[in-house]
Amino acid sequence: MIRALRTCFIALACIAFSAVLGASIWVIAGDPGQGNLSQLLSENMSRSGVEHPVTAVLLNFRSYDTLLEIGVLVIAGIAGISMSKTTSLEDPELRTSDPLLYALQRWFIPLMLVLAGYLLWAGADRPGGAFQAGAVLAATGVLMRLGGIPMEFLRPGLLLRLGLALGFSVFLLAAVVSVIGGDAFLAYPPGMAKPLILVIESVLTLSIAMVLLALFVSAPVNDAEDPEEGDPS
Amino acid sequence: MTLWLMAGLLFTPLAWAVLTLLTDFVWGRRVTWVGILVQVFVSLGLWLTVAQNGGFYYDLGGWGAPLGIELRVDGLAVTFVLLTAAVASACGLHAGVYIDRHKSWHRYFWPLFWFLWSGLNAVWLGGDLFNLYVGLELISLSAVGLVALGGNANALRASIRYLLAALLGSLAYLLGVALIYGQFGTLSIAGVVLWLDSHSASAGPGLALALMVTGLALKTALFPLHRWLPPAHGIAKSPVSALLSALVVKASFYIAARLWLAFGESLGNQAAAQAVGFMGSAAVIWGSWLACKQVQLKQVVAYSSVAQIGYLFLLFPLTYSVSDSISLQAQQGITLQVISHALAKAAMFLAAGNLILSVGSSRVDALAGVSRFLPFSLFSFGLAGVSLMSLPPSGGFAAKWLLLQASLGSGQWWWALVLLAGGLLSAAYLFRIYRASFAEIPETDQFFHPSKSLEVIPMVLALMALGLGFVSEQVLSVMALPFAEEGAP
Repeated sequence: MIRALRTCFIALACIAFSAVLGASIWVIAGDPGQGNLSQLLSENMSRSGVEHPVTAVLLNFRSYDTLLEIGVLVIAGIAGISMSKTTSLEDPELRTSDPLLYALQRWFIPLMLVLAGYLLWAGADRPGGAFQAGAVLAATGVLMRLGGIPMEFLRPGLLLRLGLALGFSVFLLAAVVSVIGGDAFLAYPPGMAKPLILVIESVLTLSIAMVLLALFVSAPVNDAEDPEEGDPS
Repeated sequence: MTLWLMAGLLFTPLAWAVLTLLTDFVWGRRVTWVGILVQVFVSLGLWLTVAQNGGFYYDLGGWGAPLGIELRVDGLAVTFVLLTAAVASACGLHAGVYIDRHKSWHRYFWPLFWFLWSGLNAVWLGGDLFNLYVGLELISLSAVGLVALGGNANALRASIRYLLAALLGSLAYLLGVALIYGQFGTLSIAGVVLWLDSHSASAGPGLALALMVTGLALKTALFPLHRWLPPAHGIAKSPVSALLSALVVKASFYIAARLWLAFGESLGNQAAAQAVGFMGSAAVIWGSWLACKQVQLKQVVAYSSVAQIGYLFLLFPLTYSVSDSISLQAQQGITLQVISHALAKAAMFLAAGNLILSVGSSRVDALAGVSRFLPFSLFSFGLAGVSLMSLPPSGGFAAKWLLLQASLGSGQWWWALVLLAGGLLSAAYLFRIYRASFAEIPETDQFFHPSKSLEVIPMVLALMALGLGFVSEQVLSVMALPFAEEGAP
């Protein structure tokens, strides 16, 4: 009885919230837009170094957001690997020896690598870029892992941590180089925007793939743990 | 010079996060010492610059406001940057000794610590609604990672709960940001204010403000959304608890306060302001009452945070449709409350960690006899308590005094009752701990003595909280500085 009442209450609250939200969106949509942001964007596109507006916003106009977002991804990766306490993540029991999967992989993996490269390059003038390419790269890694191909670099050693940090470090260095020339943080030197964005996107692809893959591979495996503060240990 | 300081402030924590990710715990600690030195120096430099020349807008990447992101570097922001430098370096130094360096996973403490610091700085300086969201995410995720670090099942449970609460809060905030962007076509807070000043407000974005404030209240653990806080703050390692209680919850409150002060007059209403103030008052009473009933020492301190956070939300009713001088008084009172609570609560959690380390149990009644063996840590705990109970001459007293004046001046006398009751209740839960520590039980003579540096750090913080009452004039004068030149967004 109480449970049914609770469900009813939650459902009513959800409906009321949706109604209010819908009404607000209706009012806002009925108002003529004040922003001339898209016009401002197209005026400045020529100075951004790329042709696609999304990439221009992500990697140039609002690059500070993207820099911090990559930081968030690195944090997620760190939090993930900090909870897996084994030195080896290669559990032999998890490997399969399915010949069909193995044969499929030989077709799929090169294709997916090419696709990731294409997505990265496409970001300059159409939808695409580091996040999409990194996701495809990570999916390739997941497929390899499921198919039992050993990936030594995913042990939580220095190599993994270097991989996690690489994209972020390069981005951060590019951000701070301009300061030495007396410019603002994250301002690319004139004429250098295109090559810098390309370099940043490429290393970001690697690091994003590494974070996603590390999160997949380093699911907590053993139960070694700290005692709580004050517990006798 | 300012350019270098700004770049140093933004660059150092992020760079040090990467550096410490590549090292082990002991090297990470050495690297962190250098980083703390740089960061304190830069924060102090920036504070002095703003104190002399006034605030300014800093365009990141050289792109101005609506297109790019601008940072709002004003007196309030640099005061909080400096506060963060003080509290975070104390917690970092404490953690370097306190945390067991022999466990390999503890190396991840340092990168998470530095990411947390950079997120805090991003929030204090943020002038862009979406950028503030990213800063909040940076803070939440690194805080959750720190709570979960090497923890047992209970710590994981608490951190997952924390993560879900934080994510829900972030999503509500983000939905509000989307509505604001839809209405005003800009993400810059200054841009929205400019638009609101010249047009009459429509009804649509009211919901946006409500959503953002609700989401942020969840992240700040305002009653009745506070249930995630005590488990997470209680179970984390003491330096982490100190960081969470002193700084992390303040970040989401800071954004809510900035939004309210910027948009509240046009988009808010009296009923909402009173409701938020009422929930804050309920938090003061209910949090203090629960703090009195906890058996674990750190849970007492964590519930005390719930209560102290309640005071902050009195800002909402005390600044809505009142005269400018009363609004300023309330803002100053809340700022002092944020600063003094940050210093006092960090001191208290660090001292509590020492006490727990010393007696080998986290229960309040296990403290019996500790006053003879660890008087220094207990004294730091007591001094921090003086500020929480808002006795003169502490910063807490100055804050409550200003709030009392603001509530009487605006005719909202009912908040004055809350201030008085809260002070009495905080005395009740703090004296309970002192009483336990002065009790003498014959068989307890086994105490572990933590190293001196662990004991000195909370003492310094507690003295700062106590001394804040003497320098509150100077602190507030920097906070109220006008902009040197109005940034034109």
